[in-house]
Amino acid sequence: MGACYALVALAMVIIYKTSEVPNFAQGEMAMFSTFVAYSLMSSYHVGFWTAIIATLLFALVLGFLLEMAFLRPAKDPTVLSLIVITLGAEMILYGLAGWKWGANQNPFQVPFSEYSGFRIGGVLITEINLWTFVTSLVIMLLLFLFFRYTKVGVAMKAVQQNAFAAKAMGIPTRRILTFTWGLSSVTGAVAGVLIAPIATLDTNLMMDPMLKGFAGAVLGGMTSLPGAALGGYLLGIIENCFGGYVSLEFKSVVAFGLIVLILCLKPAGLFVKHFERKV
Amino acid sequence: MKRGIAIISAATCLLLMGMAVSATAADKVRGVTDTEILIGQWGPQTGPAALWGAVARGTGVFFDLINEEGGIHGRKIKYFLRDDSYNPMKTKAIGKEFLEEIGIFAAVGGVGTSTGMAVRDYLMENKVPWVGPPSGSANWTVPMHKYLFAIYPRYTDEAYVLTQYAVEKMGKKNIAFFYQNDDYGKEGLKGAKNYLEKKGMKIAAEVPVEPQDTDLKSHVLKLKESNADAVILWVLPKHAAIVLGTSMAAGFKPQWIACSTLSDSTLMHKVTKGLWEGVVYANFLDMESPLVKKYLEAQKKFAPKEQETGVFFIAGFLFAEPLVEGLRRAGKDLNPDSFVKAMESIQHWNDWLGHDCTFGPNERQGMKSVFLSKCGQGGKPEKISDWLKFNTEK
Repeated sequence: MGACYALVALAMVIIYKTSEVPNFAQGEMAMFSTFVAYSLMSSYHVGFWTAIIATLLFALVLGFLLEMAFLRPAKDPTVLSLIVITLGAEMILYGLAGWKWGANQNPFQVPFSEYSGFRIGGVLITEINLWTFVTSLVIMLLLFLFFRYTKVGVAMKAVQQNAFAAKAMGIPTRRILTFTWGLSSVTGAVAGVLIAPIATLDTNLMMDPMLKGFAGAVLGGMTSLPGAALGGYLLGIIENCFGGYVSLEFKSVVAFGLIVLILCLKPAGLFVKHFERKV
Repeated sequence: MKRGIAIISAATCLLLMGMAVSATAADKVRGVTDTEILIGQWGPQTGPAALWGAVARGTGVFFDLINEEGGIHGRKIKYFLRDDSYNPMKTKAIGKEFLEEIGIFAAVGGVGTSTGMAVRDYLMENKVPWVGPPSGSANWTVPMHKYLFAIYPRYTDEAYVLTQYAVEKMGKKNIAFFYQNDDYGKEGLKGAKNYLEKKGMKIAAEVPVEPQDTDLKSHVLKLKESNADAVILWVLPKHAAIVLGTSMAAGFKPQWIACSTLSDSTLMHKVTKGLWEGVVYANFLDMESPLVKKYLEAQKKFAPKEQETGVFFIAGFLFAEPLVEGLRRAGKDLNPDSFVKAMESIQHWNDWLGHDCTFGPNERQGMKSVFLSKCGQGGKPEKISDWLKFNTEK
């Protein structure tokens, strides 16, 4: 679960890094994409891997579309108004999914087992756990390489540092922003597909993981990709330990208690060295 | 936050509109005309509990059927269905709308305990008869309300019977309880503990789950450590599915026993990818009743798109059946008090999907029995017990 939080946290941070907007539609975007995968498999009998690839493409386009349809038209937006727009997008997606797929719980079939796997020192790691863990690591690595070594990645960082200067240097800031949304949407969709087999698929699929992912991102640092990912993992571990040893009733509250604590003590996040402000 | 403000302003608008309309003829009975009876129901058509919203739509089809058969004493039922998204604030606004704007005669069903509690006192103060809230909460009948008739067997009683069955018929010795951390779950827990205490047994583990949780590893660990040979589930369908999957992964395989809210075995079998097979659960909707055929035909005719909706849709018929019976018995001269008299005359009534409906001057809990089923191959329900009646007196 920590790995899924980490992915959601990453998806959040990708957008936040470039535009300083926490995207509250993140969860619903992932949920929507997961439903697309589900429909492809159950109604159109497409194979798992084909469905996943189609879904990731869909997620990319969904991210593009949302950015172009909702965020771009906003005139002289403040961060707050952009946040409100993402909230609006969240409600629209949630409503659409409810209308299209209804309120029933749906089973999400995957070609690997949720019940068996490998035993390491008495602890059972199920195949799905392993997949989740490996996939999240791979995605993190890819993102890291992407931001480090590709032109678009570097341009994204530039837009975050100083959008005006980036524009002056000939970077198409708008297009870069659209691209971040697509990238973030894909990362979220991967998280959705990994959560659905265990949590069963309904329109509320991402409600809890999205909040936890956000908490993880705040914990690790909203501006740092590895920080957010670590924050997500950490949160998953802390939460389960708390549930196991202290109290199950308050297990879910721990995440939010942690946010408050972090915001008081180290507002930039655990793994961010210093708080950088845009001038 | 934005949603909250919208709801509050909507509620205020409704209130003002209601005040403007309220001063009409006093001698007429609210919600009853020569040709119509106005009935209202709220239910979650969107939001987290939308799955249960099928109840309210099922009731609508039931009324269509009644109207097609000629209505009740020359009156047709006019049905108002409102979506409250399982949000008590919205339910409250709907209650005001029902009473002050539409002027309903009675309310029926209305999924949810907290949503119902938001309007219970308001409806009662205004003498709005309310039949069949679809939840087994004790809040409907304790204390007794003159105009409120409960049908759903109480959770405490249901849990009592399930625990009893597990111990006496299935020979289980160590019973754990996995419940949603609110009134719904806690009332179930109370029933199970009542039985165990009476027998001098101890509960193996009480494990609560918050409605929004999706990661249940630590919950399963607690259940597993308790070495329970049976676990009773008083949770959402989603949590039932997750806990069965997670337990399977952890190698924990007790006998699962489930509350009637999880009685749609076809659906549960599907979402658990087959793990639901062998689960024993409580049931109070008799799908073997001869009425079922007629109802399913009505469903086909009036709601052709709802063929896949499952058992909650038909439950919408069940919660409205005693209401219609009461309206029939009350005769042409219908008002809240004649209706209450008529409802109280319903004794050991069996011409419906439930069992042995009995109200009385001091009895507001209509149904007091459940039967048990087991999920068979492919999700097919297999009846394993007859109707088990319990005594609602302490």
